Amino acid sequence: MTDILNIGSTLPAAPTVVEAPDKVPLIELRHVTKQYTANAALKDVSISISEGEFVCLVGQSGVGKTTLIKLLTRQEAPTSGQIFVAGRNLADLRNSEVPFYRRKIGVIFQDFKLLPQKTVWENVAFALEVCGVPDAEIKRRCDKVIDLVGLGRKKKSYPHELSGGERQRTAIARALVHSPKILIADEPTGNLDPINTWEIVELLFRINSRGTTVILATHNRQVVDRMQRRVILMKSGKLISDQKSGKYVI
Amino acid sequence: METFIRIIRLGYNNFWRNRWLTLGATLLMALTLTMISVSLIISFIIRDTADAVRSSINLSVYFRDDAITLESIKALQNRIDLIPNVVATDYIDKEEALQIFQRLPLNKNVKEPITSEFNPLPRSLEIETKDVEQLEATVAAISQADSDKIICDECLSYTKNKEIVDRLIASTRTAQQAGWLLSIFFGLIAIFNVYNIIRLTITARSDEIEIMRYVGASNAFIRGPFIVEGIFYGLLGTAATTLLVPLLAAIISQYQGASGLTTLGSAAGVLNTSFFNYVIDHLGSLVLTQLVIGVVLGVLVSAISIRRYLRA
Ligand SMILES: Nc1ncnc2c1ncn2[C@@H]1O[C@H](COP(=O)(O)OP(=O)(O)OP(=O)(O)O)[C@@H](O)[C@H]1O
Ligand SMILES: [Mg+2]
Repeated sequence: MTDILNIGSTLPAAPTVVEAPDKVPLIELRHVTKQYTANAALKDVSISISEGEFVCLVGQSGVGKTTLIKLLTRQEAPTSGQIFVAGRNLADLRNSEVPFYRRKIGVIFQDFKLLPQKTVWENVAFALEVCGVPDAEIKRRCDKVIDLVGLGRKKKSYPHELSGGERQRTAIARALVHSPKILIADEPTGNLDPINTWEIVELLFRINSRGTTVILATHNRQVVDRMQRRVILMKSGKLISDQKSGKYVI
Repeated sequence: METFIRIIRLGYNNFWRNRWLTLGATLLMALTLTMISVSLIISFIIRDTADAVRSSINLSVYFRDDAITLESIKALQNRIDLIPNVVATDYIDKEEALQIFQRLPLNKNVKEPITSEFNPLPRSLEIETKDVEQLEATVAAISQADSDKIICDECLSYTKNKEIVDRLIASTRTAQQAGWLLSIFFGLIAIFNVYNIIRLTITARSDEIEIMRYVGASNAFIRGPFIVEGIFYGLLGTAATTLLVPLLAAIISQYQGASGLTTLGSAAGVLNTSFFNYVIDHLGSLVLTQLVIGVVLGVLVSAISIRRYLRA
């Protein structure tokens, strides 16, 4: 497995996050607890993420990574504690505001969640269509974002005609088409082989270097260790360590 | 506008995407509309029959004896015409009474002695009423109008047949209520079926809805296409039913009277028409009813089923 580390790709240097003490963080969790059953999925988690950061959220299966993401996308509400995004308490969002909030956050998943009957281009366009974006605008934005993820020549392919990596890049294009401030990736490389994994990680880096804040949930140790970015380690719902430029240590 | 067209297009695409579910939902919708139509037709036939029976309940008043002048009879007729529930009156003189009598299916021995020379039949007024439910009040009004007492005692025929007429009225009322209950019962069963299959079509696309929500689709865009799809089910269901019901009616008409459907057959018989003709005569309003019910049902069921996906 270590050979994925040797696949020729130069990592961009970690951007030095300028920390002005009075700067409002982009994302802030304050003592967040999420209780599905008697055993809390998240226990008193406090995290602060600045704009432009690349954060790895790591931990074994079932520690609450997906739960945390669901709270951030406001699919779930915390049992206690608050979540602020861009200074706004998510609990104060009205239901009618949620779709607009979600357009500011791109999300990708392990299973891609593409529509099988639609081509790459149509899958990406779908995200704009259902938000009422005019046709001309859709064309412009889709072409741009598909080029960005390097799928310009596969626009007309259907998901089943693509490799796993290409599918994930389609999903990334879709997630980026609203030009979100934040990109959240929940185990995006879980279904990919090492080569594809690395391509996706590189793409996430590139997106981050363009100013988008990226949160990457994974339990792939190689990926995390190689990235040299901030690592938040979780264990059974609790935050265990938070390192500036860390490794995945148990 | 672009948004509106896009929602219709998405709904249209959804409609054709999953052929089998679409076919199933359309068939169930058609079945529902057929059930509703048939029970509506039956209850309408019952109603029309009841109306026919009721409107055949006419009042006859006979005049006391031949000494009463035609003028006083005409004067009374004018007063009776003014009673609100009276639609028309018809004076029957002795000659007409004889003709009617001769047409009655009676024994020769009874008929022969009575001729234009020897005619003991009384003159009478045939009174057609609007609402049988008010028959009793009408009879009272007629007695009151008859200030000179030229109507023979106990000759207001309703008084004589009161019990029979009342029973007739009551039974037509019961039949009509039974017809409506039948409609409602079958309608509810059918609606339940449509509800289930439309929910199935929505569940089959929960992935798509999930994606829509992740990419920040507004609720109108999530709901809209399904509503459009519901309208399509209503339209197609109506089309299918419009073909199916007359076919069904034609088959029933074949057996009308000859089978267990005698009640229905003879009910339609009262109206001097076959079941098929009855359906054809009312096809316009039937199709319109189906269309309204189908579309409203499709939209309502879709809207209700999609609701649980719209919670943030
Ligand atoms: N909807 C739910 N209802 C009840 N319990 C839940 C629900 N969602 C998650 N859980 C529980 O919360 C805990 C955390 O789950 P979560 O999905 O966040 O883990 P994860 O870190 O994403 O794991 P993985 O790496 O396998 O994806 C688990 O114990 C899980 O069983
Ligand atoms: Mg998970």
